Amino acid sequence: MEVSKNSFKTLSEPVKQFGGLVGIIFLIFLTFFVLNNIFGEGDELVAKMKIEEERIAEERKLNKLISSLPSGVLVSFDGTDNFKLSDELYEAVCKATKLIPQRAIMGANFLNFRAHEIYTINGNKIDETFVKWDDEKNKCFAGFVVSGNNVGVDETVKVSGEALSFLSTGIDTRVYFIKNF
Amino acid sequence: MKKLIFFILFSSLITSLALARSTGCKEGNCENGYGKWVYTDKTTYEGEWVATKKHGQGTETWPNGYIYKGEFKESQWSGIGILFFPDGSTYEGEWANGFMNGKGTFTWSDGKQKTGIWKNGSFQE
Repeated sequence: MEVSKNSFKTLSEPVKQFGGLVGIIFLIFLTFFVLNNIFGEGDELVAKMKIEEERIAEERKLNKLISSLPSGVLVSFDGTDNFKLSDELYEAVCKATKLIPQRAIMGANFLNFRAHEIYTINGNKIDETFVKWDDEKNKCFAGFVVSGNNVGVDETVKVSGEALSFLSTGIDTRVYFIKNF
Repeated sequence: MKKLIFFILFSSLITSLALARSTGCKEGNCENGYGKWVYTDKTTYEGEWVATKKHGQGTETWPNGYIYKGEFKESQWSGIGILFFPDGSTYEGEWANGFMNGKGTFTWSDGKQKTGIWKNGSFQE
């Protein structure tokens, strides 16, 4: 022990400083390793961050696509003067769309009297709306849920159908026609 | 700061005036007679009016592609009328209280048809 102390003293000053630096760096790494094991989520956190990064990248891509579309009505069917979406664009627009305006809801309610009743009684209130791409059917589905008290009975009605047209405002897209027949 | 507040108020006034001018009764008489009304969401109704309500023959066009041509009673689709859906499907027949009620024919955009009695928008098998 005494010999090692003496041999340390005999070392030159730069070597001692370098050894100290290496020691401090090792201590920092060790501290972070211990803290990460105690508080960190490790691989799980990295995986979550990757998913979030991919989601942001996908959203940016979709936003870029939406801003490149013409403003107005975008349709997925033939026979109108409106902008006809290709299959690829139809899927992308569907995935980027979140909003369903009142007129689309009122149109879908034509074929669902119960939904229309609850919608009217509750002051046009909508509990939930959804727009989703069905990979199996290769179609875009949209819908909404209305609930409320109708003549003393609590009711919940879900209306859904194919989203066949969209309104492009230049900033976002909205479902414009839900075919529920 | 004062300039900014003035600018905001002035812009709001101009916007309100522009909106007020583009909606409401645009042509004719929308109280008693024949007139065209434009709603804020760009829905239009052109037809007969009685006591400020849509009553008689008229055409209502929604911005998302629904077009109803036919009879109105108390502002609702009632009587004989035809509804064009945005995808080209149609329903032609009887209406009551804004819904398909009575005898009518639904024609899908591919030409397939269903004729019979309808009640509140549903086909009665």
